[in-house]
Amino acid sequence: MKLLEHEAKSQFSKYGIPVPGGVVIRSQEELSEKMNELPEQFVLKAQVEVGGRGKAGGILMAGRSDGVAIAGELFKKEIKGVPVKEILAEERLEIQQEFYLSIAVDRSSKQALILFADAGGVEIEALAKERPDAVRKASLPLLIRDVPAFMLRDLMGKAPKEVGKIINQLYRVFCEKDAILAEINPLVTTPSGVFAADAKLIIDDNALARQGITQNRDLTEREREAERHGFSYVELSGDIGVIGNGAGLTMATLDLIEYYDGRAANFLDVGGGADQERVMHAVRLVAGDPSVKVIVVNLLGGITRCDEVARGVIAAGITQQVIVRLAGTNEAEGKQILAGSGYRMLDSMEQAVKAAVEAVR
Amino acid sequence: MIYGDKHTGVIVQGATGKQGAFHIALMNEYARQVGGKGVVAGVTPGKAGQEIHGVPVYNSIRDALKDYDASAQVIFVPAAAAGDSIMEAASAGISLVVAITEHIPVHDTMRAIEFAKLHDCAVVGPNCPGLLSPGEIKLGIMPVHLSARGHIGVISRSGTLTYEIVDQLTRAGLGQSTIVGIGGDPVIGQTFSDVLARFEDDPQTKAAVIIGEVGGGLEEEGARSTDLPLVAYIAGISAPPEKRMGHAGAIIEGGEGDARSKIARLKAIGVPVASRPSEVPRLIRELV
Repeated sequence: MKLLEHEAKSQFSKYGIPVPGGVVIRSQEELSEKMNELPEQFVLKAQVEVGGRGKAGGILMAGRSDGVAIAGELFKKEIKGVPVKEILAEERLEIQQEFYLSIAVDRSSKQALILFADAGGVEIEALAKERPDAVRKASLPLLIRDVPAFMLRDLMGKAPKEVGKIINQLYRVFCEKDAILAEINPLVTTPSGVFAADAKLIIDDNALARQGITQNRDLTEREREAERHGFSYVELSGDIGVIGNGAGLTMATLDLIEYYDGRAANFLDVGGGADQERVMHAVRLVAGDPSVKVIVVNLLGGITRCDEVARGVIAAGITQQVIVRLAGTNEAEGKQILAGSGYRMLDSMEQAVKAAVEAVR
Repeated sequence: MIYGDKHTGVIVQGATGKQGAFHIALMNEYARQVGGKGVVAGVTPGKAGQEIHGVPVYNSIRDALKDYDASAQVIFVPAAAAGDSIMEAASAGISLVVAITEHIPVHDTMRAIEFAKLHDCAVVGPNCPGLLSPGEIKLGIMPVHLSARGHIGVISRSGTLTYEIVDQLTRAGLGQSTIVGIGGDPVIGQTFSDVLARFEDDPQTKAAVIIGEVGGGLEEEGARSTDLPLVAYIAGISAPPEKRMGHAGAIIEGGEGDARSKIARLKAIGVPVASRPSEVPRLIRELV
């Protein structure tokens, strides 16, 4: 789950990483009330988790005299489609130099990957292409508690000494907060020291509970309902509902729909051991999306009982057409049950997907 | 076959849970069919003395190893304790751990894999269906009725999609040497390269199918690392960016790991890529 900038900064600050002074406001009134906590000139930053926020108009300069009016305008905006609910009002920094610092889970080395660059506020991928010398990296096994001094020296280059401590403290944040990404872009030097001018922290979804986070904000309402049933669900924009078991098979079903020029309305993986109850909930959830015209159920497994699945489909009692492909235990019985209630059951995923695409034409 | 054979003794961690108990029965049913050793002991801390489908349960792996010979372990314990189980196995001298458990925090996985490496222990998974060498050994939860013994190695980040493709291979008369589900998490122990290296040394394996999906670049890394004839299928060509497609690892992040660029890179190094699962057998036939 992505934390907002002000949440990430408050975590970083607890670990001794200097952040600019500021207040979070949720309304214009709140800004008036907290105005005396701010300096004469400050910056208003929309708290939305989208890249390129500044260019999209989410960061505005303000002062004590015009701050409330500018905040009012910012609250009315949508930044790349995301409404602004919170604003971070923060002191302006007198920036001398900018750097980039991030620590991420690296799939390839299976270690923490630390990236440091001599330029900040940039897209790191683009910088790595244009100026490969400016970007330095190191990977560190998580069994190591502190970033070794040689590694800090290699990473920092000519950056001021305080940066070394910040890299190490960010590594501590990364480890203790179960982060998949901790990023400071830019990390800036000013006459009064080094500061994290921006902050990004993404927490591993599988570690939310032990990090004391009860709800994953990144999910939509329907996605959250799906999660309660133990489904993986992603909303898409087409008209063919998809239910599969296993992430790969469900993705392959979506791909096959696209291959036959259809458009999937969703991705729903019911997970293992799809019984009557789970299948019923899955079918109802998908059918609840008004854009869904037909549903493909593609279940394959050793232990999935086809008769249970068939009963679940029927019990859902929905109005849309359901096309089923089932392979597993009690296959013949499942077919019989569905045929008896007028459902279509096909032998391969290709046939089922083709039939669904034809049905919406 | 790779990783294990009929003579491999297996311990199951999380033996007394619903999943563990159910799959001990299935693994041993298969072992009986093929004349293999199968699951010799189960481990669940605090449950020593119980029996699960005739398999004795111990409090720890070290205790189990006093009475039985085993080199492989299959893990069904809940996510919060699974990292610990991997490390316990490695430290007790187990050389192969198959971690079925889903939703393990990725930091736990990284630490456990690092620890296992110090003990020369290979980890398959987590969040995987395990592996199956038809006619030899089943470690995990793969259904056995879709497979047949043969010469094609199969490596996949998925579960059911693997069964789909294995089914199609079998129907086309292309049996399998070993089918390895390496797992759907962003960080996994054995990667495509590791498994392909073992397939290269395996006289039974003549070609391999790699079944990948969006996220990361392990498929390309694997394909570059081997001389074995390969066919690939990549799921997720229709997956939107920044959305997790069921697997924790199936996500296009920062414009990286999307299916189209993966497919392009694989084709650029000469690997035929199937546009649908049903094309895999034909592409394999063209190679061998």
